[in-house]
Amino acid sequence: MTDKAKRQRIRKILYWGLPVLAILTVVLAWVLFSASHPELMPGPVAVWNRLLRTFTKPIGRINLLGHAWASLKRVLSALVFAWAFGISFGILIGWNRTARAIFGSIFEVIRPIPPIAWIPLIIMWFGIGETAKVLIVFIGTFVPLVINTSTGIRAVDEINIHVGQVFGGSRFQILTQIVIPTALPHIFAGIRTSVSSGWTTVLAAEMLGATAGLGSMVTKGWNGGDMALVLVAVITIAVVGFILSTLLSKLEKVVCPWNN
Amino acid sequence: MSESINQAPVKVAVRNLTKKFGDLLVLDNMTFDIHRNEFVCVVGPTGCGKTTFLNCLTRIHEPTEGDLYIDGVPADPRKHNISFVFQEPSAMPWLNVQDNIAYGLRIKRLPQAEIDRRVNQILDLMGLQDSRRKYPGELSVSAAQRVIIGRSFAMQPDLLLMDEPYGQMDVKMRFYLEDEVIRLWRELKSTVVFITHNIEEAVYLAQRVIILSNKPANIKETLTIDLPHPRSVSDPRFIEYRNYITDKIKWW
Ligand SMILES: Nc1ncnc2c1ncn2[C@@H]1O[C@H](COP(=O)(O)OP(=O)(O)OP(=O)(O)O)[C@@H](O)[C@H]1O
Ligand SMILES: [Mg+2]
Repeated sequence: MTDKAKRQRIRKILYWGLPVLAILTVVLAWVLFSASHPELMPGPVAVWNRLLRTFTKPIGRINLLGHAWASLKRVLSALVFAWAFGISFGILIGWNRTARAIFGSIFEVIRPIPPIAWIPLIIMWFGIGETAKVLIVFIGTFVPLVINTSTGIRAVDEINIHVGQVFGGSRFQILTQIVIPTALPHIFAGIRTSVSSGWTTVLAAEMLGATAGLGSMVTKGWNGGDMALVLVAVITIAVVGFILSTLLSKLEKVVCPWNN
Repeated sequence: MSESINQAPVKVAVRNLTKKFGDLLVLDNMTFDIHRNEFVCVVGPTGCGKTTFLNCLTRIHEPTEGDLYIDGVPADPRKHNISFVFQEPSAMPWLNVQDNIAYGLRIKRLPQAEIDRRVNQILDLMGLQDSRRKYPGELSVSAAQRVIIGRSFAMQPDLLLMDEPYGQMDVKMRFYLEDEVIRLWRELKSTVVFITHNIEEAVYLAQRVIILSNKPANIKETLTIDLPHPRSVSDPRFIEYRNYITDKIKWW
C-alpha cells in the first residue's frame, strides 16, 4: 500500500470512528453520572422503561407517538401557511422596490423579536387553544423565510438577468425563470431554518399549556418530578428534529441538484 | 487601404451614440452602419468601451445621447431576433447543459419538437453530447463557454453579437469555432458583430474590421478585409492586414 493510500484509509476510519466515539463518550458519561446521582438523572435503563410505559399507561390517554404527532401536526400546519406567505412575501419585497420600501422597514423592526416573545401577547389575544399555538409557530417560521427568500432574490447575478433581457424575456419570465431559480438555494435555507425554529417554538408554546404534545410531556414530567419522562420527551424531540432535517437534505438534493 | 461600398440594407444604425457612466465618458459620439448579412469585427484597446457598445445595442444600458436602430426602428431585444454571447460566464447555473441551450428557444415559445431538434444539433456541433445532463458548475471553463455559444447559435439569430467569445478556448477549439461561426453566418445570412482582442482572429473572420480608439471610444478606422473565405493565416495579404491593424491599435 502506498503512503497516500494508507493515509487516506486512516483518515476514513478516523472520520467514521470519531462521531461514534463521541456518542459513546456521552452515553458513558450519562451512565456514570446517573449511577452516582440517580435522583438528578435517571439512567438509560430507567429512561427506556419509562418510554415503554408511555404506551402501556398513556399520558392523558395519548401514547408517545400520539404526543409526537400532536406537536408535529401543529408545526406542519403552521409551516404550510408560513411557506406560502413567507416565500411569496420574500419574493415581493426582494423583487419590487416599492414593496420593499413599504414593508421592508416594518419587517426590520419585527425581525429581531424572538418568536417566544410573542407567546404572552398571542395568548392574551387568542387564548391558549390550537389557533394560538399554530399562530405562534407561524410567526416563528415566517420570519426566517421572508429574510432568506428576499436575500436570495436580491442575490441574483445581474448577468443572468441580462441574458433573459437580451433573449427577449418579459419581466415576468425573468422573475419566474431566472430570479426565483437563483434564489432557490436561499429559499431552501429559509425552509430549513423555519423547520428547526418551528419545532423549537411549538415546544415552548406547548410547555406553557397543552394537554397533548411533546412540550406538554416535558412540563408534566417536570411538575411531577418525573425526570425519566422529561428525558423521554427530550430524546423524542431530538429524534423527530433529526428525521426532519434528514428529510429536508434529501429534498434539497432533488429540488436544487446543481447546488452540491 | 480601401473601404468598399456595401449595397445591402442597413441592419444596425448607430447615430451619435454617447454613453457616460456618471462623469466617465466611455462612448463619444459614434456614428456608423452595419449592413445586413455583414460580418463585422470590432477591435480596440482594453477598457475602451466595446462591451458598453453592445450593452447599449441590447438595451442593457440606455445611451446617454444618440440612439441605435435595428432594421430602422430603435433597438429593442423584444422586437428582434438577437442573441448575445457575453464576455463573462453567463450560463444559468441551475439549468443543465441541454436546458441552457434551449433557454432562449423556450422564451420565444418554439414548438417542443423544434427545440429538441436544435438542441441536439447544437450538442453535436459543440461536442457536448456526453455532458448534456451536467450542470455548468461541473464543466471546464471552455465547455461552459461552448454552452453559451451554443445557446446563441440555437436561436438562429438574424443579429448575432459576440463579445470575445473564444478568449477562453485553446487554439484548436478556437479554430474550429471560428469556422463554425462563419458557417452559421453563411447559412442563416445573419449579421454578426464580433468583438475580439485577437487581431489574427479579426482578420480571419471579418468582412470589415472596426478599429476603436482608446477610451472614450470612437471609430479610428474601418477596414474592409478584401479576402475570400476560407482565409489562410500565412497568405502574405493576410499578414499585411494583420500588421496594419496591429500598428493602428498600438497605444503604447
Ligand atoms: N456599469 C458600469 N458602470 C460604470 N462604469 C462602467 C460600467 N461598465 C463599464 N464601465 C467602464 O466603462 C469603460 C469601458 O468598459 P467596457 O467593458 O465597455 O470596455 P471593453 O472595451 O469591453 O473592455 P475589455 O476589452 O476589457 O472587455 C471602463 O472604463 C469601465 O470601467
Ligand atoms: Mg469587454
